[in-house]
Amino acid sequence: MRRRTVLSSLAATPIVAAGCSTGDGVDTGDTGQGGGEGGGEFVAAISAQPDQFDPHKTTAYASFQVLENVYDTLVVPGAEDQVMQPSLATDWTTSEDGLTWTFTLRDDVTFHDGSTFDADDVVFSYDRIIDQQLSNAYRFATVTDVRAQDPRTVVITVSEPTPALLAQIGGFKGMAILPSGVDEASLTTQAVGTGPFRLESTSASEVSLSRFDDYWGEASTLDGMTFRFLTEPAAAMTALTSGQVQWTDNVPTQDVSDLAEDDQVELGQVASVDYWYLAMNHAKAPFDNRDVRRAIATAVDRSAVTEAARFDAARPNQTAIPEDSYWHHDYAPFSTDVDEAKRLLEGAGVTTPITMGLMVTSEYPETVTAAQVLASQLEPLGVQVEIQTEDFATWLDRQGRGDFDAFMLGWLGNIDPFDYYDGQHRTGGSNNFHGYSSPVTDDLLNRAAVATDREERKDLYDQAAEQIVDDVSYLYLYNPDVVQAWTPGLTGYTIRPDKAVNFEEVELPS
Amino acid sequence: MTALALRRALQSVVVLLGVSVVVFALVHLVDGDPVRLALGTRFDQETYEALRERAGLDQPLVVQYLQWISSAVTGDLGVSFRSGEPVTALILERLPATLSLAGASILVALLIAVPLGTASALRPRSVVDAAGTVLSQIGISVPEFWMGIMLILLFAGTLGWFPAGGYVPLSEDPLQWARSLVLPAVTTGLVSGSVLTRFTRSSVLEALGAEHVRTARAKGLGARAVLNWHVLRNALLPLVTVTGVQLAYLLSGVVVVEIVFAWPGLGQLALQAVQARDYPVLQGAVLLFAFVFLLVNLVVDLLYSKLDPRISA
Repeated sequence: MRRRTVLSSLAATPIVAAGCSTGDGVDTGDTGQGGGEGGGEFVAAISAQPDQFDPHKTTAYASFQVLENVYDTLVVPGAEDQVMQPSLATDWTTSEDGLTWTFTLRDDVTFHDGSTFDADDVVFSYDRIIDQQLSNAYRFATVTDVRAQDPRTVVITVSEPTPALLAQIGGFKGMAILPSGVDEASLTTQAVGTGPFRLESTSASEVSLSRFDDYWGEASTLDGMTFRFLTEPAAAMTALTSGQVQWTDNVPTQDVSDLAEDDQVELGQVASVDYWYLAMNHAKAPFDNRDVRRAIATAVDRSAVTEAARFDAARPNQTAIPEDSYWHHDYAPFSTDVDEAKRLLEGAGVTTPITMGLMVTSEYPETVTAAQVLASQLEPLGVQVEIQTEDFATWLDRQGRGDFDAFMLGWLGNIDPFDYYDGQHRTGGSNNFHGYSSPVTDDLLNRAAVATDREERKDLYDQAAEQIVDDVSYLYLYNPDVVQAWTPGLTGYTIRPDKAVNFEEVELPS
Repeated sequence: MTALALRRALQSVVVLLGVSVVVFALVHLVDGDPVRLALGTRFDQETYEALRERAGLDQPLVVQYLQWISSAVTGDLGVSFRSGEPVTALILERLPATLSLAGASILVALLIAVPLGTASALRPRSVVDAAGTVLSQIGISVPEFWMGIMLILLFAGTLGWFPAGGYVPLSEDPLQWARSLVLPAVTTGLVSGSVLTRFTRSSVLEALGAEHVRTARAKGLGARAVLNWHVLRNALLPLVTVTGVQLAYLLSGVVVVEIVFAWPGLGQLALQAVQARDYPVLQGAVLLFAFVFLLVNLVVDLLYSKLDPRISA
């Protein structure tokens, strides 16, 4: 009678990736880095406990921090530019009409259980996600067939050109390749991957990995590594400075500038692919009025919000995509001006004061802080912000019901512009909770989704972004930085904009 | 004695059944949908329906309750929505950490409370008494998270005597187990100890004023003998009750201290279950807490009858 059911928690958003343009074939490069004979045990402090280890079922970031080092995908985002690179697939081609993708697979890959990797494993893994309607099934929305042409070749057929496909199947380890016929029930606590480390043991306080000697890439120089769960930032930083751990992402943002000076730790900081925004309910007066939304967008001082919410660790942005990305579009039509905002509000025929309930969640404390600043900025405009702090479960309920005036949240781990804009702003899009609808935006987004030329695609997304910003579908606020700290002298680690933590090439200081 | 134990045990079963109904209803009535949470903001109707059905959440509540309770009496508390692991396994995994911390904390608390409370009571309004009062007020008022962080910064950071957090199982390394236990146990022990100090003081004071104590003194017994045989034994009664309550509280998890010290106890498990609306784990945990409270109360009652033979009647 017992049902083996797995839901998973948290998950603001999973992760998606962008790719090279279709038609490119990419040769496999040697990604390995020469390693010494350092050895040793590496301990990383992460801020939460993974909920489970089935890569296709979990949506928790803590789980993916571990799984990043255990599983592989067909392609992976490059560490710095997020352009898709070969991994289990050595190269790929798309047909002239863009409807058939052919992937060539590596022939020297072994799973942690000793079995050999081939095309059947890819078909099994993708079918599992599609057939069981797991939480990443939406990534295969346009996929009609996944087929093993021979042991080294996988063919994916799509119903319309899908330039974002590489990002969809390689953006994060949620699209990991499992060995076909694996005991699925065991995957919540065990892992059978092809990555540089095997999952050795898990407990309520830490996860241990050991080096996989038959790894297809350069084997790690570490004997193994441990992820320890330290929720309290002060405890994590003390553990780092006293040498109990060698790496942590649990860095208090208010201490970033001090830590940069501290020679006991090495601080890594890079602009992330995440963005945080405010959305007003387009189905509710007076926020259905474009001029009201524009008035609010004009009254907001994004720098002050950013400073309060993230200290030095974020950059204000009026669009979604951060500056470092190829897909960034430099467009910032709003400059903070309360008088101009008042004129807009008057022109819209709205009598002040108006009340705006702003729904935020304690799950993401920066939304609570930002809301207080937003409230004080909108007060001179005659907009009384009523801050509603909810726990995330209730928050999501209300968002789903459309029971809000406005909310603030972030989208995390975006790589392809499709993920930044499509589901959020297309009429009826699965993530368009605020009810934005514009024929112009829809047309641009639909054309961009199937455009196979990279330049043309960028141009379409740029136009869509301008329309979205002008209509204040979202009021974009900022892109946060990824902030991590490690022990001085640690080598082989790259801090990444997508927050994937990969310890494959790490060497401990000698 | 046996009859009393049996009667109380039977009562406990009835109470537990009542608790199970209340817990189940509360957990399901509270806002928040575990499936929506599992999907996060990236929402898809079809996936949502599929997950709901697989979790059995599409069934009527009464059916869900009956399924749950009929498995629960056989010791099967279901499977976590969040991790896919059996709830009993999740609880058992965390039990040693919780037992260690609760036991050590009560030890710290009693080591503070009994000497300090007794000394205060023996010399009311003296310097010792004033110091005891001030210290226990501080212990009660200082937030545990702040105390915990201060202890970490001083003893783990500056002095480096103890680890900054984390738990080492006793079976793995007894010495490291003890070292990892010190800071969290002192943090919770100080709070519980402050509460118990106040109780010890007042019950010792009360016992000191009792007529049989005056009689004992009058017949020429030494101060030490009066204290040990006539005062402390009587003062122990209320102290046992309050200690029991404190212990039950510690056993049901001390969420704040567990988070500060990365202590994998039941409190964190319950908190995560609340946040994820992980119904099976939450129900299992609350049922266990109710059971622990009943068990501790039962033991306290039985102890009572040992300490005070009049009660066993």
